[in-house]
Amino acid sequence: MVKKTPRNITPALSSVINAFVPVLAAFGIGAVVIALAGKNPLETYWILFRQSLFSFQGLMKTLHYASPLLLTGFAIAVTFKAGVFNMGVEGQLLVGGFAAAICGTAFSSLPAPILIVLCLTAGVVCGMAAAILPALLRAFYNVNELVVTLLLNYAVFIFLEYLTSGPFRDAGAAHVSTHMVPDGAIFSRFGSSRITLFSILVAAVFGVMYILFNRSKLGYEIEAIGKNPNFAEAAGMNVRRKIIVIMTISGALSGFAGAGWLLSEKYVYTLTFSDGVGLGWDGMLIALLGVNNPVGILVSAMFYATLKVGVQYVSVFTEVPSEIVGLIQAMIVLFLSLKVIRSRQSPLYKKLDRLLCRRGSRNPS
Amino acid sequence: MNVVKFFADSFLYSSPILLCTLGGLFAYRCRIVNIGLEGMMYFGGLASVLGIYLTRSPLLGILCGFLISYGVGWLFAYFSVTKKANFIITGLGINMLAAAVGRYLLAEMRITNINLIHIEVLLDQSIRLPVIDSIPILGEIVSRQTGFTYFAFLSIFLVRLLLYNTRFGVYVRMSGDNEASGRSVGIDTIKVKYAALILGAVFCGFAGYNVAVEQLTSFTPTFTAGIGFIAIAAIYCGDGKPVRCGLYALLFGAAKSLAVNLGVHFGTIAILLNMIPYLTIVLALFVVSGTSHAKTNHRGILSV
Repeated sequence: MVKKTPRNITPALSSVINAFVPVLAAFGIGAVVIALAGKNPLETYWILFRQSLFSFQGLMKTLHYASPLLLTGFAIAVTFKAGVFNMGVEGQLLVGGFAAAICGTAFSSLPAPILIVLCLTAGVVCGMAAAILPALLRAFYNVNELVVTLLLNYAVFIFLEYLTSGPFRDAGAAHVSTHMVPDGAIFSRFGSSRITLFSILVAAVFGVMYILFNRSKLGYEIEAIGKNPNFAEAAGMNVRRKIIVIMTISGALSGFAGAGWLLSEKYVYTLTFSDGVGLGWDGMLIALLGVNNPVGILVSAMFYATLKVGVQYVSVFTEVPSEIVGLIQAMIVLFLSLKVIRSRQSPLYKKLDRLLCRRGSRNPS
Repeated sequence: MNVVKFFADSFLYSSPILLCTLGGLFAYRCRIVNIGLEGMMYFGGLASVLGIYLTRSPLLGILCGFLISYGVGWLFAYFSVTKKANFIITGLGINMLAAAVGRYLLAEMRITNINLIHIEVLLDQSIRLPVIDSIPILGEIVSRQTGFTYFAFLSIFLVRLLLYNTRFGVYVRMSGDNEASGRSVGIDTIKVKYAALILGAVFCGFAGYNVAVEQLTSFTPTFTAGIGFIAIAAIYCGDGKPVRCGLYALLFGAAKSLAVNLGVHFGTIAILLNMIPYLTIVLALFVVSGTSHAKTNHRGILSV
């Protein structure tokens, strides 16, 4: 009788370790900082997680916040996995949000479902348009997309600042902002919770991305290009065209995130639309933490949304400023660059493998 | 537009870009992409301002900026060289950490910016050059700049000298061009990379001092405004060659000066003019890469 060999879980476990150690280290240093400022770190962390995970309303709010983050996480992951660096997710998200706001006010007479679809489409198309320039420059002229996308973020922000404070300004508003989108364009909330149809749509996008990453030809090509572009080229893939496709997908996801966030939370485009560190930058942390893996991205988007929701309570119930979360987030990114288990050759990986497969015959020692 | 002011401002806006560029090109020559220039500059500026805020002495401020940026440079080197981390992510992490530390400190201190206007020593920091100051137009443009602005322009030649005429420069270029052969003749390439990264970080720290103390006389959470990223673009455009990179840094500084000086004359449209520097950079990157890589047969082979 052929005995089925157990599936080797060491690779999965080591990526979980690679994600957990930096998070713990960052929280550890964060605790030291809080303690140095003379406050109680344990109490702070308890408040951070209590409201956002262990109450129904809080959990719904966390899911609501996780929605755009999941999209920006995928927007970054799809490019990182191919070794392309789209640092312009932030800018593309802003464009998407702005487009949805303008579209909503311009066609306010349309019936609700059509208007929402139109706004979302406008966001997606504009996000794609914002990503296409660096993609073309990268693919045809080998211009470094990392630098171009980073700098275009500034250009995009300034351009939208002009449009918001000039032609599209709502003269009646106290701050610089566009007109509020009409009721027909707004994703209405489910009952008393914060969750809207947007989160459901994002769940559908998650399904599509899961299939794209794990089951599709494009997913395979993305991975091949990321591992070795020369080989991918030699094997007959058109790397140039794929880079454009990947960047366009990334831009579309970012634009969708921006449009959805506008229609489900902000309702107007202001200069602080993507407030704080920025939804696009958060996406980078999520992609890194989730090691460009769909399930990993889902978990880390939830984790980060938990922090975002929880920190609102921290600044209410304690003296600790909410900026502490930014500090922890930055340290997570910094420590994530140091992989604890770098490869299958590293001593820790081998130790883990021996420990897990003691019963198996693969490792007789 | 006041032409004299445009040129004087070009020097002003170029100097931090120049400092970051010249510092960052050492790492570039070692084949390490240092995205963290922005963060290193931020840390340097923050430490300098805090130092002056607490001690009221500009010299101690420079010292604080130096020490902190030295430390950050060491940290980056430890991560990327010793621990072989993914240096792009390390660099982004340093950028995020810098901004986060700044915002957290301001929140703890319950202020929105650290203002140094009240410190008398900082009232007039411009230094007049002896002879040039009396020449009519040239004097107004070149003279009356601040200390680190002069240092930035002097550095173009210093860095050139360091890179091409000293043993250290040879080692730096060696560890980038062919690390294995460098090692085979007994060069400690790890130490060289550390030195290159730390030197770059210190230059960025000075850039932070230049902007925060000499230009703004205060620390605000967004004072770096992408200067570190602009410097990376200048390094790429000039391919790590000091004089050429320096010229690109000057071009980008001039673009900024143009945006600011033109902006005086228009209303809301002035906001659009702020895009000029960034679009200039993208255009420059396009021209440089387009002319040097277009002939290769590769289809979008990744360069990082």
